[in-house]
Amino acid sequence: MSELTTAARPYARAVFEMADKAGNLAEWSDSLSFMGAIASNDDVKKLLTTPQMAKHSGADAFIKLCDSKLDDNAKNLVNILAENDRLSLLPEIGALYESLKDEAEGSVEALVTTAKKLTKAEQDAIAKALKKRLGRDVKLKVSVDESLLGGAIIQAGDLVIDGTLKGRLSKMTSTMAR
Amino acid sequence: MQLNPTEISDLIKKQIEGFDTKAEARTEGTIVSVMDGIARIHGLSEVMSGEMIEFSNGAFGLAMNLERDSVGAVVLGDFKGIKEGDTAKCTGRILDVPIGPELLGRVVDALGAPIDGKGPINSTEMGPIERQAPGVIERKSVDEPMETGIKALDAMVPVGRGQRELIIGDRQTGKTAVAIDAIINQKGKDVKCIYVAIGQKASSVAGIVRKLEEFGAMDYTIVVAANASDPASMQYLSPYAGTAMGEYFRDRGENALIIYDDLTKQAWAYRQVSLLLRRPPGREAYPGDIFFLHSRLLERSSRVNAEFVEKMTNGKVKGKTGSLTAYPIIETQEGDVSAFVPTNVISITDGQIFLDTDLFNSGNRPAIDAGLSVSRVGGAAQTKIIKKLGGGVRLDLAQYRELAAFSQFASDLDEGTRKQLERGARVTALMTQAQYSPLKTGELAFTLFAANEGFLDDIDVDKVTDFESAMLSYIRTEKTDFLSDLNKSGDYSDDIAAEMKSALEDFKSKGTW
Repeated sequence: MSELTTAARPYARAVFEMADKAGNLAEWSDSLSFMGAIASNDDVKKLLTTPQMAKHSGADAFIKLCDSKLDDNAKNLVNILAENDRLSLLPEIGALYESLKDEAEGSVEALVTTAKKLTKAEQDAIAKALKKRLGRDVKLKVSVDESLLGGAIIQAGDLVIDGTLKGRLSKMTSTMAR
Repeated sequence: MQLNPTEISDLIKKQIEGFDTKAEARTEGTIVSVMDGIARIHGLSEVMSGEMIEFSNGAFGLAMNLERDSVGAVVLGDFKGIKEGDTAKCTGRILDVPIGPELLGRVVDALGAPIDGKGPINSTEMGPIERQAPGVIERKSVDEPMETGIKALDAMVPVGRGQRELIIGDRQTGKTAVAIDAIINQKGKDVKCIYVAIGQKASSVAGIVRKLEEFGAMDYTIVVAANASDPASMQYLSPYAGTAMGEYFRDRGENALIIYDDLTKQAWAYRQVSLLLRRPPGREAYPGDIFFLHSRLLERSSRVNAEFVEKMTNGKVKGKTGSLTAYPIIETQEGDVSAFVPTNVISITDGQIFLDTDLFNSGNRPAIDAGLSVSRVGGAAQTKIIKKLGGGVRLDLAQYRELAAFSQFASDLDEGTRKQLERGARVTALMTQAQYSPLKTGELAFTLFAANEGFLDDIDVDKVTDFESAMLSYIRTEKTDFLSDLNKSGDYSDDIAAEMKSALEDFKSKGTW
């Protein structure tokens, strides 16, 4: 995983710098996430790792799979990736691109998992509090996990703020075991 | 133990009340791979070098390699149950161990957890295992003796408090025996001892602990054990943990003695960890920082001045200097002192005690090679009397060794040479000493005096040890006060010499050996 990130970084940075110059960050974001989704499909993975898949036919097949949703630059990216045998890196490239984009825009993505569904007001309150803590605009991604029992867990990059009942219970278990 | 139910619920209630219910903010990462005690972790962007990492199974790790996209950590302890995809948390703590007088008499592992089954250790303080050694300003020169109670060492290779003296030799030459004797000799001297066993058989460690208990030495000793079956990471860390415990005493104006048995195995353990972390190997496959591994460890053994002690104790202890003396042990292969690790440690330490296989096998125990053993600073710390009397012994032995090799082929020798040879044979016999029988300063002085003044010259070589033990028991019973004065002061004057001479003449005239 860490090796994949290392390999994907130059591609993501190149795409980002190009998109930043051309001013089409959002378009690239869409097409990268689209390509990433296709590349992480199991059938496509199998196809791409087949030895018979020659470099160019691999790229051609991939572009066809994307069904003419790619512009010329994106097609070139696919060709380069195929040439270097790195098509499987597309999901990582997408993720790195997003983080570069967030950094440039001064925003950060935060994953909020709660036991019960959050109301709009609660979401706003969390976003506001996080903005104060992280000093950046926060894009909230909300999901529900009943096994947390209560409270919420927020993940922003490597930072985790755990305020769930489940987390407290497990902490209490380890305190009492001592 | 009988447990009262209310006691238990009180305890639990207290724990629950003291339990912090605030939301916990932490930095997390994901484990990418675990192999051979090394975990690679993705994420953990805020981790510090040397920080403790908590794994999901409750085990701890130590962040050693901070790379661009991953962190390489050694797992301390059990790595069963850690799997790919698990989360690993930063703790924000640099690795530390419990320190303090509560540890005396205990056997602990490299993290300071008790392994002697005597219950928890109620120490209140923690000390980081990696610490900067005291600087130039904070040090004081070595001027107090650290007596080992071994005749040959105290007379010829003296060690001062705060010195680092290497014990080096092949396997089975009595390296550990010298170190254990040195611990036993500290009884009643107010020197705290730390014995760090690295990569040894658990049975050997148990044997040593039993011996120390037998001689009442465990009361002032801490044993830090990372046995051969413990993970390499623990074997690599245990000397640092032991040093942290020793520094506690040094920084409070007390004296401590630490023995690393042995640093060869620690270097092996570190080599293993480094290679698994994919650090590039160098000479003998050791990593590039193997010299620093030992130099930063041994540099922490030092004598510190009163101002440093005052600063460390916030003014509570005034006018006392502290010391941490180290006896690192290195095992050589076939007497090869020019291998990588032995040369490194020889150059770091302030001298070495060289133990020789041939001497050991010919019955000269401790098998100290008087020619190769040196002490670079200990001479300044010797008591007056031993310094005066020890020089003659060293000279006798050095001359004897040269002549003995030379005279093996000669049939008739002149009178002077023959005398020197006979003196040398007797001094060699005199320097043998049974294990676990350390001598006090006064007793050593009498022994050396007898050799210097020629009291042994008409004794058969194989009767020398009998003569010595009879002499010592005579002195102990007949000259008790004089001996205890000598033990305390260590002074030497013409009056003292005259009294020693008359005592020895008295004893010899009785002929009871």
